[in-house]
Amino acid sequence: MIEIDTLSVTFNAAGRLVRAVENVSLTVGAQESFGLVGESGSGKSTILRAICGLAPISGGAIRIDGKPVAPQTRAFARQVQMVFQDPYASLHPRHTIDRVLSEPLTIHGLKTTEGRIEQALTDVGLPTSFRFRFPHQLSGGQRQRVAIARALMLEPRILLLDEPTSALDASVQAETLNLLTRLRETRGLTFLMVSHDLAVIDHMCDRILVMQHGKAVEALSREALAQGAMTTDYARTLFTASADRLMG
Amino acid sequence: MTLLSVQNLRVTFDTETGPVQAVRGVSFSLGRERLGIVGESGSGKTMTGRSVLRLIRPPGRIEADSMVFDGQDLIGLPEPQMRALRGRRIAMVMQDPKFSLNPVMKVGFQLTEGLRQRDGLSAKDARVKALAALQAVQIRDPERVFHAWPHELSGGMGQRVMIAMMLIPEPDLLIADEPTSALDVTVQAEVLSILDNLVKTRGMGLIFISHDLRLVSRFCDRVLVMYKGRIVEELPARDLMQAQHPYTQGLLNCLPRIGGPRTPLPALDRSQAWAQE
Ligand SMILES: Nc1ncnc2c1ncn2[C@@H]1O[C@H](COP(=O)(O)OP(=O)(O)O)[C@@H](O)[C@H]1O
Ligand SMILES: Nc1ncnc2c1ncn2[C@@H]1O[C@H](COP(=O)(O)OP(=O)(O)O)[C@@H](O)[C@H]1O
Ligand SMILES: [Mg+2]
Ligand SMILES: [Mg+2]
Repeated sequence: MIEIDTLSVTFNAAGRLVRAVENVSLTVGAQESFGLVGESGSGKSTILRAICGLAPISGGAIRIDGKPVAPQTRAFARQVQMVFQDPYASLHPRHTIDRVLSEPLTIHGLKTTEGRIEQALTDVGLPTSFRFRFPHQLSGGQRQRVAIARALMLEPRILLLDEPTSALDASVQAETLNLLTRLRETRGLTFLMVSHDLAVIDHMCDRILVMQHGKAVEALSREALAQGAMTTDYARTLFTASADRLMG
Repeated sequence: MTLLSVQNLRVTFDTETGPVQAVRGVSFSLGRERLGIVGESGSGKTMTGRSVLRLIRPPGRIEADSMVFDGQDLIGLPEPQMRALRGRRIAMVMQDPKFSLNPVMKVGFQLTEGLRQRDGLSAKDARVKALAALQAVQIRDPERVFHAWPHELSGGMGQRVMIAMMLIPEPDLLIADEPTSALDVTVQAEVLSILDNLVKTRGMGLIFISHDLRLVSRFCDRVLVMYKGRIVEELPARDLMQAQHPYTQGLLNCLPRIGGPRTPLPALDRSQAWAQE
């Protein structure tokens, strides 16, 4: 469903070239959940941003259903949506939740009904009365639910999730991960998810790509990860550093 | 040796809809060691830390039977004496560096201000000391950071500048509120080792506030687990992963694990009973 073929992204930061992503290839099948892991700065977010046309692609190609992505189009927004790490920054502070959720529909010339907004809130486990609240009146976990609800308004088939629970408490993280899993099952969604937490990736993803310094280091199945069956030094280092996250 | 002893601390906010009790009867003591405070957000960790410095703004108010630091009861201490302790003998690294650095003053000025005013150092000596402090928190280009405005720093950089600023007066007690949450794991490890070193070599006491149970169990000596403004469990940090209290166990159980089942993660049981006094 998603094919990334020898993707390179290079930023020009005040005259200095930053090779954020170099020759990375991966494919995500329909309804699969794929994870990107690696230390901060390794290029994970840049890959998601490149899919959405938010990063300067300097080489390679990104295809969805075999066709090159066209991020500026309305069709793209109805196919792919992104959820960010920081639910504080990603919701407009002066818009009610009602407005946050109806905006994607309005932009696409679709009719917003009260029922549709209430259903969206119910689907992410929030009370319908939250329609009239502002983001600052919600907890971090509640805001992230709103961000997920917003991403789902146009009924996309693909969700790009960038550290969706890194800013949340363990208990709220668990609730949010359970919600994402349930939504993926009931709606047949495809996930491409970024996290620096191997346990979160292991819980959520079928296949994993380990990244370092903008490069793909090693692709792993979930089974290989659980068994510690990695072949590269870096993937092993990451695994060893996550010893306190092992089932055991 | 006891550095700080807190008895029956309460923090209450008088709001339009009535009093909100953020901290309800918390007691603990601290030696020259690393004491962790864990719990979900809203459980009262930050308010407990700020209370030690008496930095609760109205409509919040502090009450305690006693709060003794190095022989002085902070509860009855007149404000001028309290001010003399703050920053100098008891320092706090705030949760969000964006709100604790003054946005309209360059980093260098903020780092040297105390040294010049309080300790009467010359501008040159203060600068040398500030640059050394930046270096001590692993800032690779201290000169550049010294001349930077706070908004020019990344979250992790701002956090380290805050830590440097708090450590310059060599406090006896440092309260660090989520000091590494904005940091990358590798930088996190460096900052923890700096704090650790200060506890070991200078005998500083450290209150380390975090919602990350795994981190606290690795880094601290002792841990307080807070729930709805109360301490529900106190235990050695190395035993945290085998905690006995159902709330602490609940916090641990809702963490995913590598190789764990794909079934939904257990929801946390937020029993009212554990919040009873
Ligand atoms: N807009 C940008 N301008 C310049 N450099 C950038 C920009 N965005 C990201 N980078 C750089 O690209 C690299 C990869 O960043 P990122 O994809 O955010 O990493 P990750 O998500 O793995 O933490 C980093 O070195 C980062 O500093
Ligand atoms: N200005 C305020 N008015 C009313 N309640 C407040 C105020 N500030 C904080 N609180 C309450 O204090 C409680 C404890 O907060 P805090 O110590 O910041 O928690 P933590 O640091 O564990 O996340 C919260 O439940 C919050 O509702
Ligand atoms: Mg990122
Ligand atoms: Mg706090």
